[in-house]
Amino acid sequence: MIKSKRNLALWVVFLAAAGIAPHVLGIVKTNVLVELAGFVLYAVSLNLLLSYTGVLSFGHALFYGVGAYTTALLLYHVEGFPVIGALLLSGLAAGVIGLILSPLLVRVTGTAFAMLTLAFGQLMFILCLKFREVTGGEDGIAGYDVPNLNIPGIASFDMLDPTVFYYFALAVCVIGVLIMWYITKTPLGQVVVGIRDNTLRVDYLGYKVPQTKAIVFAVSGFFAGIAGSLFALFQGIVSTDGVLHIMVSFYPIMAILIGGIGTFFGPILGSGILIVLEDLIMRYTERAELITGLLFIGVVLYAPGGLLWLWRGLMAKLFGSKSQPASEEVEA
Amino acid sequence: MSENILETINLFYDYSGLQVLTGVDLQVEKGERHAIIGPNGAGKTTLFNVITGMYSPSRGKVMFKGKNVSGFKPHKLSRLGMGRSFQITSTFHNLSTFQNIRMGVLSRMGIRFNMFNRVDKMEDVTKETNAILERINLKEETHAPADALSYGKHRSLEVSLAMSTDPDLVMLDEPTAGMSRDETHSAVDLIRRLTEGRTMVIVEHDMDVVFSLADRITVLHHGKVLAVGRPDEIRNMKEVKDAYLGHRREV
Repeated sequence: MIKSKRNLALWVVFLAAAGIAPHVLGIVKTNVLVELAGFVLYAVSLNLLLSYTGVLSFGHALFYGVGAYTTALLLYHVEGFPVIGALLLSGLAAGVIGLILSPLLVRVTGTAFAMLTLAFGQLMFILCLKFREVTGGEDGIAGYDVPNLNIPGIASFDMLDPTVFYYFALAVCVIGVLIMWYITKTPLGQVVVGIRDNTLRVDYLGYKVPQTKAIVFAVSGFFAGIAGSLFALFQGIVSTDGVLHIMVSFYPIMAILIGGIGTFFGPILGSGILIVLEDLIMRYTERAELITGLLFIGVVLYAPGGLLWLWRGLMAKLFGSKSQPASEEVEA
Repeated sequence: MSENILETINLFYDYSGLQVLTGVDLQVEKGERHAIIGPNGAGKTTLFNVITGMYSPSRGKVMFKGKNVSGFKPHKLSRLGMGRSFQITSTFHNLSTFQNIRMGVLSRMGIRFNMFNRVDKMEDVTKETNAILERINLKEETHAPADALSYGKHRSLEVSLAMSTDPDLVMLDEPTAGMSRDETHSAVDLIRRLTEGRTMVIVEHDMDVVFSLADRITVLHHGKVLAVGRPDEIRNMKEVKDAYLGHRREV
């Protein structure tokens, strides 16, 4: 009961803060928050694979890129294509790609999985780079109009207004993260964690491991695609370097490792730290990686597992080591 | 004579040339507790793994409930009603005792791909899981991660996990391996209680456990069945003594 009250309070504070943020921070910083919203969604979708299924993907940009390109192509070729439709179709396209690749991906784990995803990610990168007629090659696709977000009979929102877009991105991010959180609490979420802990045993208990993993790949791909779509809607330009580059795959991994691997909320914390830090550094130098890289190394050396675990360790030390039961979070 | 729930017919298995099973004919009757024993290297564990779908037989057949299941994948065998435990404890080490058992309960209830309902709101699942925990005396450790259990309790969890899917045939691979005297004693009790009304096949080194649990024993030697019989018959069989101890006169 106390816990749910605390959660409610946290939600109220979060929504209030998120609600007034654009009016307090101004347009430039609001744009950073939009970027953050998309990135959080993206990092959490990768975390479904890394922390829950226990496989490390080096090619998550594949899904992000497919989502971004789908949105860009739709808006470029079909004038006035509804925003929500583009968003969902982008997620769907990425999810289907996840399903198509899953027969290969479910067969491998560990380094082989990382290398295979890396290969697929790079394959898509090259494909989009060379298939100029469709993707515009290095220049990418630009100059598409983002139509208003119409909710029939209620309102029409101008998506080019940064504040409006901020609220839109925030809503998409929160809904997406909530859905993924919910899935981790379902039987399927439990089985996935079981696969991470002991694949063989899950098999011997009567579960179909490959099929279960395929569903997770599809879900993870779907939300990564949604995040990519947000990027396309916001930036108004989609290019290979922007959405399919290898760094796009590595960045969320950094966010997860900095925030806290094996937890649901770690990646959100990590994303916040990375994006805000980068914004601060960018005022002084272009080489943001100099600092974020140092932070990454520092965390890996001195707080392995991420800052959330460091925090929990501190809390346990400060407030007496009340032997923490295997709470729902430990499973994560 | 009652029907055989499990049968292997002329079963062969070789590890790239090394013949481990050379024509095993094993019969397990429905409802009995059957032990497989034999000296080291007799092929017990290999036989066990071929039956439970870890390996496919090189030749011969595995019949389960009158159906040829040679080469079936573990999850298929599990759904047909075969459960197994592991010699080296193989639970979900980061999950709580409760979550471990729940994994089997969910599978038994056919809830395998549900991603729309919260698992902790499924009352029948929770109730059944708690009932099992009660039965195996792990109620107090409900929330403890499997890794934090004492060795004996972790082994109990291992064996119970094999039975959490409510199988008709339970295959136990050295369930008391590495246990102390006391732990072994309570483990045998637990196994006897849990396998009530099921068929059990056990591979075991500890002869006390074998003789106190088994209704019937199959002795394996050099990849073949050397003898089959009731414990008292096996105990006094000359060939068995020879197989275990070599050709010595005074035993």
